[in-house]
Amino acid sequence: MAWRNIWRNPRRTVLTVCAITFASVLLVFMLSFQFGSYETMINTSVKISTGHLQVQAERYREKKSIRFVIPRPRAIAEIVDHIPEVAAYTFRAQAFSLISSKDRTYGVVVTGIDPQKEVTVSRLKKLVHAGNFLSADDANQALVGKLLAKNLRVTIGDELTLLGQGRDGSIAATVVQVKGVYSSGIDEFDRSTMQIPLATFQDTFSMDGAVHEVVVIGKSLADIPGIKAKLKNALSDLDSGKPLRTLDWQELMPGLRQAIEMDLVSGLIFYGLLIIVVAFSILNTFLMAIFERTKEFGVMMAIGTTPGRLTKVLLIESMAMTMIGIIAGILLGIAITYYFQIHGIDFSGGSELLSQFGITGRMYPKLSLLSISIGPFMVLFFTFFAALYPALKIRRLQPVEAMMAI
Amino acid sequence: MSRQTIISITFLLHLMLAIIRPCPAMDANKIVTDGFNYWRGKASIGTVEMLIHREDWERTMTIKAWTRGQKDSLFYIAAPPKDYGNGTLKKGREMWIYNPKVNRVVKVPPSMMSQSWMGSDFSNNDLAKSDSLLLDYEHTIIGTETHEGKTVYIIESVPKPNAPVVWGMQRLKIREDQIWLSEEFFDEDLQPIKIMTAMEIQMLGGKLFPKVWRMRNVDEQNRYTQLTYRSLEFKPGLPDRLFTLSSLKQRRR
Repeated sequence: MAWRNIWRNPRRTVLTVCAITFASVLLVFMLSFQFGSYETMINTSVKISTGHLQVQAERYREKKSIRFVIPRPRAIAEIVDHIPEVAAYTFRAQAFSLISSKDRTYGVVVTGIDPQKEVTVSRLKKLVHAGNFLSADDANQALVGKLLAKNLRVTIGDELTLLGQGRDGSIAATVVQVKGVYSSGIDEFDRSTMQIPLATFQDTFSMDGAVHEVVVIGKSLADIPGIKAKLKNALSDLDSGKPLRTLDWQELMPGLRQAIEMDLVSGLIFYGLLIIVVAFSILNTFLMAIFERTKEFGVMMAIGTTPGRLTKVLLIESMAMTMIGIIAGILLGIAITYYFQIHGIDFSGGSELLSQFGITGRMYPKLSLLSISIGPFMVLFFTFFAALYPALKIRRLQPVEAMMAI
Repeated sequence: MSRQTIISITFLLHLMLAIIRPCPAMDANKIVTDGFNYWRGKASIGTVEMLIHREDWERTMTIKAWTRGQKDSLFYIAAPPKDYGNGTLKKGREMWIYNPKVNRVVKVPPSMMSQSWMGSDFSNNDLAKSDSLLLDYEHTIIGTETHEGKTVYIIESVPKPNAPVVWGMQRLKIREDQIWLSEEFFDEDLQPIKIMTAMEIQMLGGKLFPKVWRMRNVDEQNRYTQLTYRSLEFKPGLPDRLFTLSSLKQRRR
């Protein structure tokens, strides 16, 4: 009977179902998109330089002094080699130095990279848009950020003088040749960084084989906590000469985590509003239905239907509508999201905020059980309460009065 | 005692005070300028040992220094051998660094002036802007104390409005015989940041001069840079060509 009742006023029913469907589609899509964009953001950000995880000397993160080093990186390499979830790792060393071309001088963060391993960890090689990436046997060659190259007025093949302070406090100086120019889209990175081969770095800065960071990339974002725990355990057993610690991407890039949290909160507020609007529209439909059908209910009660039964019928009606809406919404939502998951959404017009995290091209929403279910479930939850109110209201109807109503 | 005597005594006292108490601002300026000139001399040639001390680490360098007037300086590292021949030329407010290994002269850009000089607790600014204290600050005597039987003036130096300086205030202690005892640096919130103290005052280069200078961060006891004069000679003048870029490039011994 409830089923028949639904289709007695098809227009009203279709409208309600549509509202629910629309809300569900929107929720499924938006949530998938948000989660997808977070993963994109994290993965692109970590692949610019930080990696998913880093092993550093204690205090190095707070104070990037050249003296806070990992003295024997080989020992850590052995540990990392034995963690199956690790996809790749590399060593890096960093120092702040004066870099000067013929007539300009800037303060720059110079990073020593292992040209072969770096490729597996970061996107640096793909970012080189002029000249070439460093090769394994390069010495005294350098990759320079695009804005830095512009500021220094140098191009491929030009010489740069590097002046800094070595690990032992001595003066570090060398001349390097620009081999390539890279552009990450992150101004800060392109303006104040330079990469040289790790061997050249260690030689120039008297590093004595030491490095500053072991950068680790996991097979997937979900593996990171596991790798971190294993690394921590192994490091505590290792006698490395200096206390070391493991940092994950959230600690390495607190700005990124905060941006994600903020976006999620503002997203949740929006979804909350959406659900409330839908709930009210459903409440409205149900109330109208009851007013319209007061007479009918009166008759039904007069012929002996108990108020409890009526409430049940009404609830079944509303839940049936909601379920239709939600199922349609989920299916449609999955279809739309899946389309974009494969084809991506073009963000090349890219806002400043996105390019800050290195996202310049397409964004891909990512379907997951959570993103599919959480939105529609909330809709179901709230519409149930919205339907409950009118359904309970009819319990108070008096058959005679009800039949007299228009 | 009659009322009149009291009045006349008070009057006399006031008069005496007025005579004794000098005009503070002018006098403070004079004390600072004289002290600075006494410190720098007309020109000087010296050898300084620079000790950089850290909690777990220490390093010594020997530096040869030429100075002229209030503005020009030339420094060379004589030891350790690894750093031999690295030079710094300071002229006016500009600084250049020379490295023999790459045989290049690099001008220190304005953005790097607050960086440490040769890894010490002295910043490039401390060197380049040494005469800024005379030009950009207003000086006031805020008190006196005694040191080895001599009066020491405590002077507070506040930057003039719009002066291009990094410090919010400096507090100087200058002895009456023009010897600079300490210089304390304060930030804009007037919190003390670092302090330079002079020690072991003795005859050096023909006059009384502190042999040891120590620059220390106020909140870190175990981190300082100490300069010890191994030799010091004051000269009536030094030639112009000494303070040029081409002179910086020449290796000296």
